[in-house]
Amino acid sequence: MLKVKGIDVSYKDVQVLWDLSFEVHPGELVVILGANGSGKTTTLNAISGLLPIGKGSIEFAGADISKVPGYKIAELGIVHVPEGRRLFPEMSVRENLEMGSLMGEAKTKRKETMKKVFEQFPILEEKQNQDAGTLSGGQQQMLALGRGLMALPKLLILDEPSLGLSPVLVKQIFGIVSDINSQGVTVLLVEQNVNQTLNLCHRAYVLENGSIILQGSGQELLSNAHIKEAYLGI
Amino acid sequence: MELFGQTVICGVLLGGMYALIAIGMTLIMGVMKIVNLAHGALVMVGMYVTYVCFTEFGIDPYIGMFIAMPVLFLIGCLIQKYMINRLVEVDSILPENQVLLTVGIMLVLTEVMRLGFKSDYRSVVTGYSSNTVFIGGMSISIAMFIGFFIAMGFTLLLHLFLSKTDIGKSIRAVAQDRDAAVYMGVNSSKITMLTFGIGAALAAAGGSLLLPLFYLWPDIGHLFTAKSFIITILGGMGSTLGAAIGGIVLGIAESLGATYISMGYKDLVGLVIFLLVLLFLPGGFRSLVRRS
Repeated sequence: MLKVKGIDVSYKDVQVLWDLSFEVHPGELVVILGANGSGKTTTLNAISGLLPIGKGSIEFAGADISKVPGYKIAELGIVHVPEGRRLFPEMSVRENLEMGSLMGEAKTKRKETMKKVFEQFPILEEKQNQDAGTLSGGQQQMLALGRGLMALPKLLILDEPSLGLSPVLVKQIFGIVSDINSQGVTVLLVEQNVNQTLNLCHRAYVLENGSIILQGSGQELLSNAHIKEAYLGI
Repeated sequence: MELFGQTVICGVLLGGMYALIAIGMTLIMGVMKIVNLAHGALVMVGMYVTYVCFTEFGIDPYIGMFIAMPVLFLIGCLIQKYMINRLVEVDSILPENQVLLTVGIMLVLTEVMRLGFKSDYRSVVTGYSSNTVFIGGMSISIAMFIGFFIAMGFTLLLHLFLSKTDIGKSIRAVAQDRDAAVYMGVNSSKITMLTFGIGAALAAAGGSLLLPLFYLWPDIGHLFTAKSFIITILGGMGSTLGAAIGGIVLGIAESLGATYISMGYKDLVGLVIFLLVLLFLPGGFRSLVRRS
């Protein structure tokens, strides 16, 4: 579904990604693991068309999207739930959800989708007229996920959804991500939370210094010596 | 007491029209994160368009404004697309340079108008511009009443546009988090262009409403840039309601200053309030509301 082929990406004058390749197949939940500064968010921003690609290409559903501008990516069905949630703080919960469904099919099905999102996240329905900035961290992450779902994504990209949340909330959020995936949405999850995400995913890649250094199924990686030493500390 | 009442009412009416101009500026400031120092010049150009419509074709200023608004909308869009957006795309250029660019645009607009119309003071005299209505012992100019209600009408329309339509919400979304808006599929450069256009059109509307009340000359723009800046600081950036309140406060202050101090000091009163607000209430009126 998504094929990233040997991309180089620079942020201003600094090259961050070096000949990076990976693939996501339809229906999968794929995780990219990496420490701070390894290039996770840069990878996602390159897919979302916010950063230009120096070398290589990105294909989505068979079409080359390397040159597609950022605002057209959402319309193709790639929906990016950014790091730090990035809600519109002075807009209501409902308005934030509406902002997720500006394009094509998502716009015509706005009411239906919102009903489904409210079923999945009852707290959002309760607080629908409140400003997004007034929600708690966990509620904000749910709103960010809900806003992503409003776009009827084919591929949902999640950038560190567990960031800044308590262990209980992290578990809940990962449960929701797993649910979304089992409903047929392909998910690309970028995380630092190694243990939980490797148990959750179908396949995983490990990103270090802008290149993929390891890949395999979640269970394979959990028993990998490098992962154990560098990420799990055992 | 009647004098006081008349002064305050005049201030409110005048302030409503100032508010419309300032809302244009605050909208641009919210989305672009820059102070548009050419805003007053856009008001001035709008006034000239309405003025020409009146003198050449005999079109009433209140109808002429509906010609000036699309003209300025177009000028605003072009300025944004071909000048300001070009600077935004270059990383190495500081945001301050965008502000400097607006100063340049202001100078060019002012001098182009001077080339065409000289520096002469001009005014529009319509059948009703000297008419007044009497409420009790107070006499209020008809032009002020009409101007105020049209200005409030536009403010309401803009408020509905920003809160009810997808495009309006996209404008607010870009103002709050540009990258996140792009993730949602918002074409941010199109939205900034549209915002600048709407801001310029509102400037033209406010200018046209003030045309029957003010003398017109190419340098009048500076006056409006200063006023909209004061109102924006009073009302808080990016807030329509804040700008409306800020406009009315400025209008009342100027009007009181003109009546009780001297006509020549009316702009000084506004500037003193501006300084006081910056010193004691830097967040504008909003910070008062938030605190309580």
